[in-house]
Amino acid sequence: MNFKLTIAWLYPDLMSTYGDRGNIIVLKKRSEWRGIDVKIKEVTLESSIGNFKNADLLFMGGAQDRQQKIAGDDFLKNKGPIMKKMVESGIPALFVCAAYQAVGHYYKPYKGEPIPGPGIFDLYTQHPGDQKKRTIGNAIAELLVPIEFKGKRIVGFENHGGRTRLGSKIQPLALVLKGGGNDGHDCYEGALFKNAIGSYFHGPFLPKNPFIADWLIQKALTNKYEKPIKFEALNDELELNARSFIMEKYG
Amino acid sequence: MRHYTAILLGKLTFIITQFLHLGAGGTWPGEITLTIDPQILKRFSSQFRKGIIIVAGTNGKTTTSLMISHLLQSQNYTIVHNNSGANLLNGIASALVKACDWKGKIQADWGVFEVDENSLSSVIFNIKIPILSSQVKDKKLIIVLLNLFRDQLDRYGEVDVIAEKWKNVLQAISHQSSAMRDKSDITLILNADDPQVAYLGQTTNAKNYYFGISDPQHFLRVKEHATDSTFCLHCGARLVYTGIYFSHLGIWNCAKCGLKRPLPMLTDWNSPLPGLYNKYNTLASVSVARNLHISDEQIGNTLIQFKPAFGRQEEFDVKNKKIKLFLSKNPSGFNASLRTVLELKSSVILIILNDRIPDGRDVSWIWDVDFETIPNEVKVIVSGERVFDLGIRLKYAFDLKNSDASRLIIEPNLNIALKKGLSLTKENETLYVLPTYSAMLEVRKIITGKKIL
Repeated sequence: MNFKLTIAWLYPDLMSTYGDRGNIIVLKKRSEWRGIDVKIKEVTLESSIGNFKNADLLFMGGAQDRQQKIAGDDFLKNKGPIMKKMVESGIPALFVCAAYQAVGHYYKPYKGEPIPGPGIFDLYTQHPGDQKKRTIGNAIAELLVPIEFKGKRIVGFENHGGRTRLGSKIQPLALVLKGGGNDGHDCYEGALFKNAIGSYFHGPFLPKNPFIADWLIQKALTNKYEKPIKFEALNDELELNARSFIMEKYG
Repeated sequence: MRHYTAILLGKLTFIITQFLHLGAGGTWPGEITLTIDPQILKRFSSQFRKGIIIVAGTNGKTTTSLMISHLLQSQNYTIVHNNSGANLLNGIASALVKACDWKGKIQADWGVFEVDENSLSSVIFNIKIPILSSQVKDKKLIIVLLNLFRDQLDRYGEVDVIAEKWKNVLQAISHQSSAMRDKSDITLILNADDPQVAYLGQTTNAKNYYFGISDPQHFLRVKEHATDSTFCLHCGARLVYTGIYFSHLGIWNCAKCGLKRPLPMLTDWNSPLPGLYNKYNTLASVSVARNLHISDEQIGNTLIQFKPAFGRQEEFDVKNKKIKLFLSKNPSGFNASLRTVLELKSSVILIILNDRIPDGRDVSWIWDVDFETIPNEVKVIVSGERVFDLGIRLKYAFDLKNSDASRLIIEPNLNIALKKGLSLTKENETLYVLPTYSAMLEVRKIITGKKIL
């Protein structure tokens, strides 16, 4: 019997600013290359909750302020509360950039009212109010958690105006080696809650950090089939080269 | 006095950069002139006898402004055009310094300037006053807005932020113009198929002229992913499309508030270059020409002889093979180039990704390009500074669990990559090259053996 995996992709038409679908492509192919059947469920404004509440893995990507506002209400009232329950029950998830902000208690954009969030993550975000203060550039961080990856590096690109503060119920994901991280001051990047990862490394986070993709897939299958799942290592030579390039040039 | 010093030093800089082949003639003379005399653009722009035409948009600026220049020249108008592709304030100032005499006098009818999306406001504010307050009644300011796609977010910021800036500057000048006299001095040439661009026409009281494509034959069957503005600018509801040409360009309307694509005044003209995006460039140029009362016959005769701008479908002969360059620097432009290259039955494609400032530091966008559309029989070579990022992208697009050199070749060295590409290309066939901006300059340098710009 092949393992089956259902991945819910939240707001692919709104929360997908800059190559975010790279994460979905990587999750799908890396699963398929190991003989796992994958189904991607695209969940957007008009989708019913039944469409994704049985998903095994969640992904939500980045957005511009306008799109984040359009998704905001539906997310708060409809999709967010279900996702909160799913994440609390151990369903693995990846939230990058604007999604990382959206799953907190609120996001205050550079103009207009704060957008309340469902509080899946114990954090809040404020925009300091000036485009010039955006944190932009190639970024590197050293993982603190998950514990099996402690000391391993993640690489990516960040481009955000918001500054995020973590509450007491959530762990920082990594230590900033290069870049701005959560709020530009506390040296932390991203957050981990149960099996859900949030990061400011935007867009295609997983392509250059494939071990995180494998970790998410493994957690999803372990949850679903209630037994430890082992699977073959893949040929990640290109990924290693791409990572070394970033670490040598920007590290 | 300062004015003359500025021009003198600007011109000397130009001569020096030319003489030493420094390759900076497109920006340095303007930069120096502007530093000494920040008002210089106003002094220059007031001298054009007929007026100024500005072309802005994410994709197609260079090709469109070149078409417009040719159309004007066909009417024996003299023009100044920043045809080096340098499209910030300093690039425009450089073109003007190069064109003026030592006293700063410009003898020309029209200024034709392609302008960077983010510089549109500062350029317009630097030229508008002399144009609008001029004693000559019929001087024109024509602003062509082609499209807005996501492009190098690290450099430009979000598309919405740019659209907001455009709206603000257009409102400011159209109000000022209509307060002073007839609003007809300013004409906006707008792409009706791009909701964000078309909406700008509603927010100002300038004269609007819309162009768009009305041919269901060109509709995409499946929607691409890289869509930027599929939500109503007015009320925020999801836009409904009768059909999409590419990205978010198409025949759109809002079911909630009734906002819809304005009826284009020009919908068809034979494009001299392949690719749907060139159809838009052609329509924009013809719209300008018609607004200047150039006859359709003359427009046709001029455009039929049109040769592409450098790097834009530019062709080179190498022994008995050809190399064709398709500058591709953002997801929508890349998808458009890819579609055209595949329609031309390519068998070998070289893709080059750099991450220098003109390319954008952030290469995330490659995940929004539909490389999955490349059929199995086409060989792809990847190169450039971010060769491995591109390699990863194509490995997933081609579903290559293990590397397969018959399908995908990873070659960091651009010289070798070009050689490999040519050796894989059959006699009398074409190697298609899709480079980012700085990669395009590198390829041209290798092929022609000399640096440009």
